[in-house]
Amino acid sequence: MADTSRTVLMMGNPNVGKSALFNRLTGGDAVVSNYPGTTVDYTKGVLIENGQEYEVIDAPGTYSLEARDAAEDVAVRLISENPGATVLVVLDATRVERGLYLALEVIERGCPVIIALNMIDAARERQITVDTRVLQRILGVPVVPTSAVSGEGARDLAGMLRKAQKVDIETVRARADGQFDTPEQSGGCTGCGGC
Amino acid sequence: MALPVQERWDLVDIIARKTVAAGAYRQNLGDVLGDLTVRPLTGIPVAFAVLYAFWSIFSSFAGALVTDGFMVKVFDSHWLPWLQGAWSDPASIHYFLFVGDPLAENCFEAFGMLTSGLFVAIGVVLPAIIIFYLMMTVLEDSGYLPRLAVLMDTVFHRIGLHGYAIVPVILGLGCNTPAVTATRVLETRKQRFIMMTLLAIFIPCGAQLGVMLEVIPDAVGWVMLFLLIGFGIFGFILDRIIPGSNPEILIDVPPYHWPLWENVTKKLMNRTKSFLKDAVPFVLFGVLVVNVLYLAGIIGALADLFEPLFVTWFGVPKETVGPLVAAFLRKDLAVAQLSAIAMTPYQMITAVVLVSIYFPCVATFVVMLREGWKELAAAVAVLVATVFIYGGLIHAVGILMGVA
Repeated sequence: MADTSRTVLMMGNPNVGKSALFNRLTGGDAVVSNYPGTTVDYTKGVLIENGQEYEVIDAPGTYSLEARDAAEDVAVRLISENPGATVLVVLDATRVERGLYLALEVIERGCPVIIALNMIDAARERQITVDTRVLQRILGVPVVPTSAVSGEGARDLAGMLRKAQKVDIETVRARADGQFDTPEQSGGCTGCGGC
Repeated sequence: MALPVQERWDLVDIIARKTVAAGAYRQNLGDVLGDLTVRPLTGIPVAFAVLYAFWSIFSSFAGALVTDGFMVKVFDSHWLPWLQGAWSDPASIHYFLFVGDPLAENCFEAFGMLTSGLFVAIGVVLPAIIIFYLMMTVLEDSGYLPRLAVLMDTVFHRIGLHGYAIVPVILGLGCNTPAVTATRVLETRKQRFIMMTLLAIFIPCGAQLGVMLEVIPDAVGWVMLFLLIGFGIFGFILDRIIPGSNPEILIDVPPYHWPLWENVTKKLMNRTKSFLKDAVPFVLFGVLVVNVLYLAGIIGALADLFEPLFVTWFGVPKETVGPLVAAFLRKDLAVAQLSAIAMTPYQMITAVVLVSIYFPCVATFVVMLREGWKELAAAVAVLVATVFIYGGLIHAVGILMGVA
């Protein structure tokens, strides 16, 4: 099987800006529109970060890993066909809950995950604030605020790709239930990004 | 290890409560418009206005302004006479293939590869494609499409589809090939099959629309009406005979955005580039193939063979067989070719409708094959039946109206 450890698979709900972010990261020209379901097939591109070459795949949007239509099926197949790939879950910062569901599903599959909190500018405009540090601490994976439209955060995101983490869902649950404001004593990386 | 669905949602709730805070939000103009354009009472008139504006800008810009105002003059008064004079030996085969009729006065009638071929591709279709895609990009990028989908939902449910089918339909009016792939947003095989079949049969592409505007400006409305009615009738029938379900959908309606200039230009550039790269060679090649088939006597033989069907059943001259052969390669080319055949206006409408509903062009055919050969085979069967039934029906309407 081909080595997929340098593959970055972009997953997320429809119309959260995956293709726009993909274009920012790879300089590619995936079609970008403002309606869910623009991308029905995948696009591949290359990102070189810190001398490291990544193959980036822009998957069609999906609400969960249980495919509902042929486009979602493409996305779900991509995740099984690229075991070991880093999964970049793209969330819409104005609708975090919906995207989190998919993010948790991906985490449960044991994939190394990194999260882009996209459309952060739209969230600010709508007075929605997301506590990135707490989210990062609970999930145990890096969370990077981005705006694919303005390009904000895209560089940081590329730099953080190598810090994607595999996490056990039970520890996520424990952290979510626990006193999250006292420092975590677990040994593993919490993806705080401070290293 | 996977959590049960409910537990996963519970976890999402807990995490969201600890990380997301929403402040007071004031509705902005975009939200108000977003709401008004999705409510039936205000949304439906807006939808009509939007589609009407789309069509009038398309037809006045592509047809009247660029093609008639500029391209026709360049091609008919300069390019054609120059080529007819400069190319040696009007009686030769190469003259026939490349320049066409030495006596032709315009680039539609000449039908050589460098006369009609170039004129159709560059003079007529290119401006149509550019303005069409420019407007389509605005619809796509503003966020209007999903709202149109909401409004159209009830209508589409009558033909076994739901509102989101408007997306492949609008894309198909640009080009059928990406539209076929876009049917992947529909959930069931039944929906995808109905949509693909209706796309291939009843949705004319932007290139074809451009040529129709040029050669039959007065009859385009009729052709579109017949296609729309056919879309409805055959959708209704397919819904009754194809097994499978047509689930309700939840549509995610995004907020309106101003289209981003760089995104609009990028999409326009890419689409224009792919037209020049993929479609133009097909148009030129199509003229060449049709001319070779004429010379070899194959089109004449086919015309004689199908004469009873064409003349008696469809009520169009047997010469329309030639354009139907060309239609397999490019529909725009076929419509252009029809314009050179002597016909009554009603016969012209019938012939153009036939060209539209008859076989998908080869590019669409290939994409449909990729989506599944069984579906393609079934779609072709439906198509043959449709051409036969609907072609006869239109002829019958003509007889009743006393114009056929």
